Amino acid sequence: MSADFYYGIEVLLNGLMAGVMYSLVALGFVLIFKASGIFNYAQGVMALFAALTLVGFQNGQVPFAHLINAIFGTEVHHFGWTLPAFVAILLALGVMLIFAILVEKLVLKHLVNQEPIILFMATIGLAYFMEGFGDLMWGSEIKKLDVGIPQGGNVWVEQSTASLGGDGFYGFYLDSLDIYATVVAAILVTSLVLFSQYTKTGRALRAVADDHQAALSVGISLRTIWVIVWSIAGFVALVAGIMWGSKSGVQFSLSLIALKALPVLMLGGFTSIPGAIVGGLIIGVGEKLFEFLIGAPFLGGATENWFAYMLALLFLVFRPQGLFGEKIIERV
Amino acid sequence: MNSQPQRELGEVLLKAENVNLSFGGVKALNDVNFDIRKGEIRAIIGPNGAGKSSMINVINGFYHPQAGSITFKGVKRTSMKPHQAARQGIARTFQNIALFKGMSTLDNIMTGRLLKIRSGLLSQAIYWGKYQREEVEHREYVERIIDFLEIQSIRKTPVGRLPYGLQKRVELGRALAAQPDLLLLDEPMAGMNLEEKEDMSRFVIDTNDTFGTTIALIEHDIGVVMDLSDRVLVLDYGRQLADGLPDEVRNNQEVIDAYLGVSHD
Repeated sequence: MSADFYYGIEVLLNGLMAGVMYSLVALGFVLIFKASGIFNYAQGVMALFAALTLVGFQNGQVPFAHLINAIFGTEVHHFGWTLPAFVAILLALGVMLIFAILVEKLVLKHLVNQEPIILFMATIGLAYFMEGFGDLMWGSEIKKLDVGIPQGGNVWVEQSTASLGGDGFYGFYLDSLDIYATVVAAILVTSLVLFSQYTKTGRALRAVADDHQAALSVGISLRTIWVIVWSIAGFVALVAGIMWGSKSGVQFSLSLIALKALPVLMLGGFTSIPGAIVGGLIIGVGEKLFEFLIGAPFLGGATENWFAYMLALLFLVFRPQGLFGEKIIERV
Repeated sequence: MNSQPQRELGEVLLKAENVNLSFGGVKALNDVNFDIRKGEIRAIIGPNGAGKSSMINVINGFYHPQAGSITFKGVKRTSMKPHQAARQGIARTFQNIALFKGMSTLDNIMTGRLLKIRSGLLSQAIYWGKYQREEVEHREYVERIIDFLEIQSIRKTPVGRLPYGLQKRVELGRALAAQPDLLLLDEPMAGMNLEEKEDMSRFVIDTNDTFGTTIALIEHDIGVVMDLSDRVLVLDYGRQLADGLPDEVRNNQEVIDAYLGVSHD
């Protein structure tokens, strides 16, 4: 086999793993959309906020340091301790849970029975509020996130595959971080699916997603379910925030990964968890392979920036419900 | 026929007093007073738009009456949410079936057991110990209901694919799974053919016999109602026309007029 062939496979593998990262973000959208019919514009910002909070706890930053200093004329920035990653993650998770409860109490509760577009607008407001609030709480400079996930080329993979190719081939280059992300995403998705299929709360979540009225009649409290759904979405946002934050630093642009999740959702359908996974993988692989086979040789490169959106557009034209979404049937 | 109208009636389970409900200018319920006694099958009948469904929705907490009160199991309440009503032991079915269409028959009926499962979120998440035992226990109960309703063969079928008659049966199963003290059936036989109606009547009577469930049902088909129920409440334009044993109601002139129309000359 030629080295080119192996290089193609390497591109494919990298594409799959990039796809997993997209899926992670898309998953958060799907969870909330399924359970409450809300397209949560704030999902990306939630990932940013979760990552900011995690870094803040880890480095022992004083929350609202700038505000405190400005008001009291003090000079506090750090508590002077650092926390182990594990503890910081648990604390950040706690913050996301409190956030879910507050969203229900302050926003959703007052918008019961409103049009989906109203709820969507509310999440836009929520997104911008959280963006500002995150800045105010933890500062707006770019931060490095390190929770102990190794980065850079994985030596083991490289060495064990080096013998495959000929002289010009030195083994597959796979980023360790991407491998970790893949494993974490697989565990996350499996446990989410098992949870929703086999537990009481999972059954209640699916019931609410299916029919509000019927759910109420069997004694499910919508408000409790919403808190649970937003907590899970917060948890997924934290995982996505950790992975993306470790990869490219914690900064404002992290919230823009949500944009990459949109084409994933168009492909997979807004209502399907497997769809979010497969959609992410298709986009990841598609954009890497397109760049490798067509983009770089013929189009001058950088096709990764627009390929996903192009693909989504094609899907919208030919299969608007996505690959796995429920078919839209209008009753007349 | 099951006509034993003078069956011994139990104590009062639910009492509605002076219930008034209006939507804008339309009075859906106007000073309705009645009670439901333990162990009976209570029918609510009336022409279209009489306020039958509104009455059920008030009992179940979907609608909140502007005036009047509902006393259930000795506790008086003016307004409550549907999930709280479910918690107190009221289960129901809907006129236009409200099932979880994407879920299997089994899962649909299992949702009826939600309130009976006590384990916390954490023990569910690790699926261990008490929760696992509980799941098995509830599954056994659900299997009993599936046997009872003779729907073994569609256990794993997504209910969206089932024919109308069977969907109605699954919905009854979900309500039964909650082991309710009071079961509300909103037109359980609407849109059914004769055979399906007979089946459903049998299930209603058997439910009442086997589980001792108190049932309040709304029905259009007067024939069915008269055979089935212990007492009948008749509504017309939100007003209470008659209340009593089937035979009394059948011979009430006002009821006959409401159903057959009366010439105003």
